Amino acid sequence: MANQSGNAYALALLCPVRAGAPPAGFDGQCQESYAAHLRYVLQSVRVSGDSPMARVPNTYLSRFFLLDDVFYQGSPALEEHLKSSYLVFCCNFHGELEPYLTGMWKTIESEVRLILNHCVGFSDQTVRDAAAFIAYIKKCEIKTTFYFNGSTDQPLAEQLKGLYLKQEFSKFAFENQGRSAREIQEAFGEFIKGTEPENTARPAWKPGVYDLDKVVAK
Amino acid sequence: MSNIAGKAYAMNVITPLKWLTTLRTRLIFWGAGKLPSTTLGLVTLSLIHYARWVILRPKDFPHLGPEQPKEDLQYCYMLFFSNFNGSWDQYVDSFSSTIPTGLDSFWYKNIKYTNSIPMLPFHRYITWNQIWTDNYYNAYPMASTNDVKSAQKVRQNLIDFARSTANATPDDFQRQYNKLLLSLQHDLSQMGLNPVVSLSASAVDRRLGKERRGVS
Repeated sequence: MANQSGNAYALALLCPVRAGAPPAGFDGQCQESYAAHLRYVLQSVRVSGDSPMARVPNTYLSRFFLLDDVFYQGSPALEEHLKSSYLVFCCNFHGELEPYLTGMWKTIESEVRLILNHCVGFSDQTVRDAAAFIAYIKKCEIKTTFYFNGSTDQPLAEQLKGLYLKQEFSKFAFENQGRSAREIQEAFGEFIKGTEPENTARPAWKPGVYDLDKVVAK
Repeated sequence: MSNIAGKAYAMNVITPLKWLTTLRTRLIFWGAGKLPSTTLGLVTLSLIHYARWVILRPKDFPHLGPEQPKEDLQYCYMLFFSNFNGSWDQYVDSFSSTIPTGLDSFWYKNIKYTNSIPMLPFHRYITWNQIWTDNYYNAYPMASTNDVKSAQKVRQNLIDFARSTANATPDDFQRQYNKLLLSLQHDLSQMGLNPVVSLSASAVDRRLGKERRGVS
């Protein structure tokens, strides 16, 4: 299946955005279209370790953007336009679709509602639980024709543990140059105790963090 | 807007193509999926975390109810989404320089596609058809795709080494430790923040600064 490469999944959604403007009082905004307000919301959502996507298990990379129209290529091409704006969500994650979406619903339901309430067919009344959310997403999913995985398809926890170990072992190798065999062996024993390479939970890198001083979850 | 998340750049490109052309393009993608050797150029470039191509027929645009007007399109559309390391210019030029044939076969006969060489018209084609990302999240903004792959190797090697040397004498440990360092010499390096090298990266840096200060 083209949406998958090994254990990595490429999810792509086109969610049609409601036409017109939201009623007064919709999330405190009025006098602008659903699409304009949605763009404001997307640009306000955090992108670092505080991003809601950092709480969704096994998310490697994700993006949101608005597709307002298609581009005219100039004469003699046909000029055509979309009749709706679409919220595009692209995500690369580890695992299968339904468990991933269930995890998303459990961890960031309120943020999902904040975004998808701008879209046709999604409201607090029509989507009440994880099953309805999954059904909605499947209606909006577009199938990937070709998926290229240039990275790995491990669970995110293993990737983050590996990055933590790569960083720490690079320091270890540098700091222990020129020491005696016994000293290196003792230091390595301490290193393994401190870094616990087989324990993916801790210590490891936290997802989405941009700061070397704050990236390690101890 | 933020096309940049640490060391990753999000590219979104949408281009029209005729229905008949999609048949050939789908065949090429099918072949690329069946014969991984055809994408060896992409693997060797080692810039990409994940990339995908989606071909949409007019009827593939989701229609979720009577309140949404049905699309009335003549062309099919190819959507390209990539997560890569480095700058826009580095990425686009790397492809033009190293795998122009592969690129041209993927975009074969897309409307007004210029071919990937010469570079300037190709730059214009991508710029014209690119859409900016509104929100881009990266689980490991301080790592490149090579870092992620190296990290997997480092972890497995460390686990194996710790087991195999648990009862080693210091001299034997030293010998195996030196072998370990030799085998990991391409995988050990310090990661960190990406340098701010463009106005776009500077804008993202200011946005992150606001997040750190708790300003929305």
